[in-house]
Amino acid sequence: MGALDRALRAARSKLRPLLSTTSSVSSVFRGIPIGCVDRSFCSQSRHNSREGGVDLSQYPPERIRNFSIIAHVDHGKSTLADRLLELTATIKRGHGQPQYLDKLQVERERGITVKAQTATMFHKHKFGFPDASNIQDPPNFLLNLIDTPGHVDFSYEVSRSLAACQGALLVVDAAQGVQAQTVANFYLAFESNLSIIPVINKIDQPTADPDRVKAQLKSLFDLDPNDALLTSAKTGQGLEQILPAVIERIPSPPGKCDSPLRMLLLDSYYDEYKGVICHVAVVDGALRKGDKIASVATGQNYEVLDVGIMHPELTPTGVLFTGQVGYVVSGMRTTKEARVGDTLYHAKSIVLPLPGFKPAKHMVFSGLYPADGSDFDALNHAIERLTCNDASVSVTKESSTALGMGFRCGFLGLLHMDVFHQRLEQEYGARIISTIPTVPYIFEYSDGSKIQVQNPASLASNPGKRVTACWEPSVIATIIIPSEYVGPVITLCSERRGEQLEYSFIDNQRALMKYRLPLREIIVDFYNELKSITSGYATFDYEDSEYQKSDLVKLDILLNGQPVDAMATIVHNLKAQRIGRELVEKLKKFIDRQMFEITIQAAIGSKVIARETTFLLNPKHWIPDSVFHNDWISFSLRQTLHFGSSFSPCSISAMRKNVLAKCYGGDVTRKKKLLEKQKEGKKRMKRVGSVDIPQEAFHELLKVS
Amino acid sequence: MFFHSALLGKARILPHVPSFPNPPPRPPTVCKFSSSADIPTLPPPTSAYVHLPFCRKRCHYCDFPIIALGSSSSSSSPSQENDPRIANYIHLLLQEIEATKPASHDQQPLETVFFGGGTPSLVPPPLVALVLDALRSKFGMCTDPEISIEMDPGTFDRGRLEELLALGVNRVSLGVQAFQEELLRACGRAHGWKEVYEAIEIVTGCDGLENWSMDLISSLPHQTPEMWEESLSQVVDARPTHVSVYDLQVEQGTKFGQLYTPGEFPLPTETQSANFYKMASETLTKAGYSHYEISSYCKSGYECKHNLTYWQNRSFYGFGLGSTSYINGVRFSRPRRLKEYIDWVQKVSDGMVGHDATSVGSKDMAMDVVMLSLRTARGLDLSSFGRSFGDCLALSLCKALRPFVESGHVVAIDGDRKSLSFQDFEQQLNDDYEIGSKVAFIRLSDPDGFLLSNELISIAFGVISP
Repeated sequence: MGALDRALRAARSKLRPLLSTTSSVSSVFRGIPIGCVDRSFCSQSRHNSREGGVDLSQYPPERIRNFSIIAHVDHGKSTLADRLLELTATIKRGHGQPQYLDKLQVERERGITVKAQTATMFHKHKFGFPDASNIQDPPNFLLNLIDTPGHVDFSYEVSRSLAACQGALLVVDAAQGVQAQTVANFYLAFESNLSIIPVINKIDQPTADPDRVKAQLKSLFDLDPNDALLTSAKTGQGLEQILPAVIERIPSPPGKCDSPLRMLLLDSYYDEYKGVICHVAVVDGALRKGDKIASVATGQNYEVLDVGIMHPELTPTGVLFTGQVGYVVSGMRTTKEARVGDTLYHAKSIVLPLPGFKPAKHMVFSGLYPADGSDFDALNHAIERLTCNDASVSVTKESSTALGMGFRCGFLGLLHMDVFHQRLEQEYGARIISTIPTVPYIFEYSDGSKIQVQNPASLASNPGKRVTACWEPSVIATIIIPSEYVGPVITLCSERRGEQLEYSFIDNQRALMKYRLPLREIIVDFYNELKSITSGYATFDYEDSEYQKSDLVKLDILLNGQPVDAMATIVHNLKAQRIGRELVEKLKKFIDRQMFEITIQAAIGSKVIARETTFLLNPKHWIPDSVFHNDWISFSLRQTLHFGSSFSPCSISAMRKNVLAKCYGGDVTRKKKLLEKQKEGKKRMKRVGSVDIPQEAFHELLKVS
Repeated sequence: MFFHSALLGKARILPHVPSFPNPPPRPPTVCKFSSSADIPTLPPPTSAYVHLPFCRKRCHYCDFPIIALGSSSSSSSPSQENDPRIANYIHLLLQEIEATKPASHDQQPLETVFFGGGTPSLVPPPLVALVLDALRSKFGMCTDPEISIEMDPGTFDRGRLEELLALGVNRVSLGVQAFQEELLRACGRAHGWKEVYEAIEIVTGCDGLENWSMDLISSLPHQTPEMWEESLSQVVDARPTHVSVYDLQVEQGTKFGQLYTPGEFPLPTETQSANFYKMASETLTKAGYSHYEISSYCKSGYECKHNLTYWQNRSFYGFGLGSTSYINGVRFSRPRRLKEYIDWVQKVSDGMVGHDATSVGSKDMAMDVVMLSLRTARGLDLSSFGRSFGDCLALSLCKALRPFVESGHVVAIDGDRKSLSFQDFEQQLNDDYEIGSKVAFIRLSDPDGFLLSNELISIAFGVISP
């Protein structure tokens, strides 16, 4: 989805040259409206009189700070968030799990944030009182931490989350210094006009070098070294400076209390009991329980059934005022109705929609099939449930002769797809096989007909009519790299059929390049490749561009002469040969030993362009009973599938053991059960023939081309 | 002890796969399993398995129902000899035998008895005598029964062996497992290399014992081909009449299960394991042993009659903790925990029989017959199988295995036990009703077919129960 977004993208390159003149952004907002002081004093007593509840009316915008934490992966963002939640007693130290805001298992495992989360904290600070030392009871501030995803796939979501913030903590590892994602994140925050507080974290490490990092921040982002906070979220050192800095340096939200309600929908998730829960930021006006609200994007009307803040769990308040961030339950039935970036307003009022809304655009498609053909219903159910929580995936049913019934899913990007797979497996226990991801192509035939192809298998290999033209989606990619990496990056981009649009230096160390690239070329492994050839320093982003004409062909993979529909792919004519060979070699490696010889071929139409044969035997797939229940499970995970109905017997060279169990009285039943399971495994395979294809083969195929 | 093999008396002929008394009429020519086929009835058991669960300690690969006595002192020490747990258990056994009703009114005398464990040699011979007496009085015993007992090195001396022989025990299965001190230790065996040689000396030096077997385990952690070669040659030198070679099974819940993953270091790879298997087959065959079952070898005529009962799908009694019986087509496994077993024996004695058993349906019976007979060198008797379960099913089996006959994993054999060429087999296959006449048996080849037994048998299962 990187391609999803983004009005902001175009602005970016224009902004960059200005960077050096913007000087310390964070020092801009120092003044505070004095008028708010009295008001907050008055409301203080009201707050105290309420038992346990939170009276949000005592927090006018001046007493609110909305901020986000941005960082390169593993620079300590989640730990810092945990510490802030503890510091404000929002969560108890040692209670709750680490990485509190990363609620999904996939987020914890990968150290990434996929869903935006918000947490409201309260913090007393004497800010705004010149003679602060005399004040007994400094006022309370309401702080909203809005956690955002970090990956390019989700940059639309990020831009919406950042739109609700006025400032950001830019966390940099004191030893590693500024990294690619730091740069990308800085620009995202900078484009959103956020005040940036540099936080140099992990200063307890022996290799920490805060001065070097300060110098980088100065030279890269023109951030004043004196503004940087030195912390260790691990030891707690320096943490006490953070919230005061947030209150003092980040401006309060700019909304108008007396305007009609406008709120920004940040994210949503589905709760078994409450239904859809939306995270919202109230930009103008106020929202109360019982209000009738409407969505700009869908035109639907809802009644506010519950409203409150995340403190850090759902805490009903009955109301949200201007500048506040919280949740709304409004009887939406699925998260599909909750479009990220949508504007919600009071029904029957007339408002100008908040800027920046875009519908989700699916740029990567792949087939999802149950690893075990009989699990279709289970997969169906799992996908239904998961899309309740991730409405940005499009799902239609499809079927494959090789894989049976399954789904064609559209994703925002490759990481989005990966995360979706992982969540299906982790949260819903679904075991899946995914086909090679593809982008939506357009083919035009000699009879004038045009088709859009979201599944390469659906494109006829021998259509009986000439293809007169094909188009594929392209993107404009922006790459910023230290100048020494220019050479390899140019090579990479030309390999990926890129067309250079711009090449300039933004300072004496960094080059900016713009390329038009086929989307197909960047969805598979481009970012990883780019990072690896630039030691991780490349900053890469892209925006959608138009469809461009291209010379495309359908590449079929044949096993024993039969095309495997699930392995078909569409590639550029010039690359077909190489990709065909790679695919065939990969497959040979992963279709391990079989009982009989298998011919693996890659073909364009009826022309075979690559060929391999395999034959060897791998009893592993046949569940030796030397391997009990444990391996049974792993067998199901590495699910074998069978293709091709004819086999050509040949010598079996490497004979390996397929088990020599003892077998006597008590063992008969147990042994038989194992063999029956093995038989069941074969039954699934027989449906389509005689070739075992382990699931890894599919996963590996994803990485080719 | 962990593995049983079995014993043989004087019978020199391999008994036949069960031929069922009243063959059902030939089913229609639909080549799938006909559920209306009668379940063949099995003759009542003439074999009894007796489980003697005591061990000094649990071996690292063992997931059997055993009772570890927890003493490292030798078996002849008075404390172990008189361990009340053994005597109490034997009385429980006697109670179970006593309470067991003979499978039918025309109970034939027992032909085989197998004391397995556990380490049966830890049980004092007088107590073994009580069990034999109970069996004899309950079921009768033929004139020359095969009575086997499993014995572990270091748990018996010449005197104890002679006592056992005097009771009528005539086959010993010696649980050697390995000839290398480091491997024995790695397995958690209660004995060392020295005890192995002592035990062999006792067994071979005993005039009254002609028939004895040695157990070996292949694919042990850190086992090298050199070690395996050494073990095999030691076996050949010791000249037992029977050898059982078991591939290590890493079972869940055992120490090995926690420590090791099959195929991964320090366990040998699958290829190495397969080579160990081939080495055993080659070495022992050369030394004059017949590879008569997947993991069993014997000198001519010394097949374990008791184990053949299992492989021929015949009935057997089972007594003791965790043991399985197969009577009137019903497999029943006794509780594996002592406490539950005690309760169960009590119930049986009170006539409140809790035979929570699985009755074998005719489809299951066909699968059992295939699975068990294909483990043997004799193979599957197609005409007998066809009579019991339908000729069409027999033909379908042959068709399913056809590619493997061609590849040499499966061998078709005629009535004179001569191997048929693939072409002959193919011809018979096309001539539907000839299956069972010309192609009398199919068997797995040695060693390649045996090595693929799981695959081949599950293919056969797919034919019987699609």
